[in-house]
Amino acid sequence: MRKEDVLFEKVLFGGKPEQKVIDNIRNHIRILYSACELFKDALLKHDKALMLSITDLEREGDIVRREIVSNIYEGAFLPFLRPSICRFVEIVDEAVDSIEDAAIGYGSYNLNLDKPTEEDCLRIADLNIKICEMLSIAFETLFSKEDLREKSLVIRIYEKKVDEIKFEVLGKLRETEINNFWDGKILSDFISSLTRVSDIIEDASDYLYIVNVSLR
Amino acid sequence: MTELIPLAACLLIAFGVGSNDTSNALGICIGAGIIKLRRALFLFGFFVLAGILLQGQKVMKTVGKGLVDTNLTILSVALTVSALLIILSNWKRLPLSTHQVIIGSLTGSGVASGADVNLLSLVEIVLSWIISPVVAFLLSYSLYRLMEKTISKLSLFNIEKILRRLLLAGGILVSYNTGANELATVLGPVIYSGLSGEMQASLLGSLFVFLGAFILSSRVIETIGKGITVLDPYSGFAAQFGAGSCVLLFTFFGMPVSTTYCVIGGISGVGMLKGMKTVQTSLIKKIIANWVIAPVSAFLICYFVTLAVKRFF
Repeated sequence: MRKEDVLFEKVLFGGKPEQKVIDNIRNHIRILYSACELFKDALLKHDKALMLSITDLEREGDIVRREIVSNIYEGAFLPFLRPSICRFVEIVDEAVDSIEDAAIGYGSYNLNLDKPTEEDCLRIADLNIKICEMLSIAFETLFSKEDLREKSLVIRIYEKKVDEIKFEVLGKLRETEINNFWDGKILSDFISSLTRVSDIIEDASDYLYIVNVSLR
Repeated sequence: MTELIPLAACLLIAFGVGSNDTSNALGICIGAGIIKLRRALFLFGFFVLAGILLQGQKVMKTVGKGLVDTNLTILSVALTVSALLIILSNWKRLPLSTHQVIIGSLTGSGVASGADVNLLSLVEIVLSWIISPVVAFLLSYSLYRLMEKTISKLSLFNIEKILRRLLLAGGILVSYNTGANELATVLGPVIYSGLSGEMQASLLGSLFVFLGAFILSSRVIETIGKGITVLDPYSGFAAQFGAGSCVLLFTFFGMPVSTTYCVIGGISGVGMLKGMKTVQTSLIKKIIANWVIAPVSAFLICYFVTLAVKRFF
């Protein structure tokens, strides 16, 4: 952008809060992606300390979310778009929360997964990374003329795969003997938090679609 | 000393125009957070001044010279009654058109004084009041269609960026029209009766519009701002810009037309595209009734007041 354009923008519109919001949303999705990647890495290495470092990413995500919402409240974007953008950001944050819940379940409560369940969880973790990547691509579609529907469809397909694995895991777990209530609950919560990430990202992608059509 | 009465009334009307019309012009932009209130007020004041200096002459001539052969009594009664009616309507929140009240008052007072009233000019003005909302309707309708075929095809954030600039452009256009058409209608009679020079009246009138905007408009704008949180920016822009272009078009012909009625025409045009259900026919009926009542009551009040003034003074 030329110097004169920047000056014109600043004098007339008082700066560019929209760009700040866009940069922060990118950062927020990147945090979600990093959390999913870290989760898979920690699960692969059986590294509980690494797994618990996801909580730092969650805190970072919270800070970014608050900044986005306050920028929007201060007047970024047209009022017609604001509620959908806010909701999108909140949903992404819920996904980060969900991966954090799974990470705490694994890292803090000494959860031991048997080999087949661990492999299934790794497949889910891998799919979560792919869905995050696709969400990031879908968000970038809002800057281009590309079709957002294709990206949403890919996200839905990934989510369906996660669902299939989830039912497989649940089927296997039903046959596993559980020695005490809390071990069972922690394992169950771990699986639901891990599989919920893809569900939430699918919701986020639906909201992106709403944002995209709202001004047309 | 009596020369000061029409001048004071004129400035009072200009003050009222400022307090009321800033929201017409830039309320959407302020409510949508496109521009801050203080910046908007200066922008409004600047474009009102630009409007009256660059293009106010034709409308001034139509109202000040072409309509009624004025004298001090006619001006004093017509402008004082207009000022009172406009202040009263602002206070009671009744949508009265400044143009209609001034034209009705000047004609009523002129007829009562036995002055020459140019019927052809009056018919032209009334016709332009009827035609202008229809033109605004068509312009807004076409603009909306054009936007659907062009801007809608762009990426979301580009659409948003463009709409922000377009909404501001619409606000600037309406601000410009406030000077070129509305303020010109207010000042025309005093300029052409020789009570004030054109430049002096234009500067003073613009200053009073700015003061009205600065002192009183923030409350009105805040109300509009809160009410438009879910405003569809496409419709808002098409209606406002269509109406603004229509007023500008009539300004070229020197016709004093109301922005408010043109905006109503514009909104109906956009509403038609979204289905007749979105157009509130009961509200339109009320507006049409008001459209007739405003100039007729101004005419009658001024007619009787002028008769009374002639009898007692």
